[in-house]
Amino acid sequence: MTTTADLDRSTTLSPSATPSGAQVALRNVSRWYGNVVAVNDVSFTLGPGITGLLGPNGAGKTTILHMMAGLLRPSVGDVLIDGAAATSTPQVYRRLALVPEREAVQPFLSGYEFVRTCARLQSLPNAEEATRNAIALVDLVEAQHRKIGTYSKGMRQRIKIAGALVHDPMILLLDEPFNGMDPRQRLQMMDLLRELAGKGRVIVISSHILEELDDLATNVLVMVAGRLAASGHFREIRRLMTDRPHTFTVRSSDDRGLAAALLADHTVFGVELTTSGLVVRTTDRGAMTRGLSRVARDARIRLLEIRPTDESLESVFSYLVDR
Amino acid sequence: MSGPLNGTVMWLTWRQLFARRRLWLAISFSLAPALFTLVFRVLADDGPSSEATFFNTLTREIVIGTLLPLAALIFGTTAFGGEVDDGTLLYLLVKPIQRWHVQASKVVVSVLSTVAVVTPAIVLPWLLLAGPDVTARGAMSYLAGAALGSLLYCTVFLALGLANRRALVIGLLYVVSFEGILSRSLPGFKSLSIREFSLAIAQAASNGAVVIQGAVSTSTVWWMGTIILVGATYWAALRLVRYEVAERL
Repeated sequence: MTTTADLDRSTTLSPSATPSGAQVALRNVSRWYGNVVAVNDVSFTLGPGITGLLGPNGAGKTTILHMMAGLLRPSVGDVLIDGAAATSTPQVYRRLALVPEREAVQPFLSGYEFVRTCARLQSLPNAEEATRNAIALVDLVEAQHRKIGTYSKGMRQRIKIAGALVHDPMILLLDEPFNGMDPRQRLQMMDLLRELAGKGRVIVISSHILEELDDLATNVLVMVAGRLAASGHFREIRRLMTDRPHTFTVRSSDDRGLAAALLADHTVFGVELTTSGLVVRTTDRGAMTRGLSRVARDARIRLLEIRPTDESLESVFSYLVDR
Repeated sequence: MSGPLNGTVMWLTWRQLFARRRLWLAISFSLAPALFTLVFRVLADDGPSSEATFFNTLTREIVIGTLLPLAALIFGTTAFGGEVDDGTLLYLLVKPIQRWHVQASKVVVSVLSTVAVVTPAIVLPWLLLAGPDVTARGAMSYLAGAALGSLLYCTVFLALGLANRRALVIGLLYVVSFEGILSRSLPGFKSLSIREFSLAIAQAASNGAVVIQGAVSTSTVWWMGTIILVGATYWAALRLVRYEVAERL
């Protein structure tokens, strides 16, 4: 199999073409704990936009995120935030924010106090106003004066995000940010993240729930066992997986007739008739999609729908993880 | 606030130290000696000399010998230990603040909190027993000794809180075994005991109002106190600056 990562281990995603110019770069980064290698020779550069950091549990996602946040030093290699080492100076946190995975937030503070504390620690000139704005962004105005100890899991996630957004960082690192949020809150948070990405913010979201990122992050970094297995747009990654057959669901005016016609086509090596249509497997995606209309026309069959069924992020991810 | 003390970190630490049951524990520490004194006043009627003996024993054994190290242990280990355990320390570390400023702010709040707990524990019994043999000078001297003890204990316990997840238990063992038993029974250990340093300072500041049998010399207090203070502060600062989130400090 060939993936972008195999082609070029030093990958650039969404290069910084926007005014923000914010950038996160990892150069040949490895990190080990004793004899355990958590991250192995990973290189990439991230610019503005949303990037999904994917991988099964233990793949090294959180280690990478913590190295980006300057909370872990790489054993080998460099982690650079806007060209400076992430661990070199606390001033990097004026441009960067982290939303950690752990739920814990000081339970004795109210939501407002927590966000205001974050604002004051950033030495913002108008901490109170910034606090109110950040809380409004995550839709927690009504609960802002309640103690965080009384918050639900989703509310804690949102107040953590408000604390991270209060100083309007250029780089936002989120570790499993949608944990505990209900569907409405997730959608609202996704809209907010898209809006921030549109303003040129670099947003990295680590998650093992692929549905969350399917619509949100077009660019992904897929970590498997500490290595960068693939990076880039997930559909592009899928197309480069030439050792995996592409699967399409095809609906037509005569599925049975189309199945018989397709079996004669050399680019198709499997056809299955199901209740939802034909499932067609091919090794040559381009040739099959070009040839399908010709085969249907010759057989006088009308095509109603052609839908790739394994180009979702989930399919790409499972192919990479199961390699 | 500029300089190594950050007002927001101090406010947050103060909220953390007095959160939940710790507030009630602090109040009970502050008021328990006054309660003992009231009981003594009601039950005993042996004259001024007995009142002086009671006040000195209460202050040396209960306040400086027990409540001071326990309050410092609770505040010192909580200042960082709780945040490391529950992960909330991250919220301070990913802010544009030097890590040693965080440490300095937390030490100062821990010390002030301990002093705030111990002060009523000394002053209230003195107010209840004030007389020719229980003087303001004596009470203020004990306060001076307690202030030094708060500084040293908190510095040590805060470093311990950064070093070990079981800092509270280890600190308690230290208070009971070393401060409570070894330093009292083995003379050589006195020159390492913070309790003895506090009593020595109380005696030195009292101009004769407080007399401690076999107190360590003032020069020993300054030398050893400085070594403990600088050593624990430097070590804790180093731990915090090198802190990496995936490992225990």
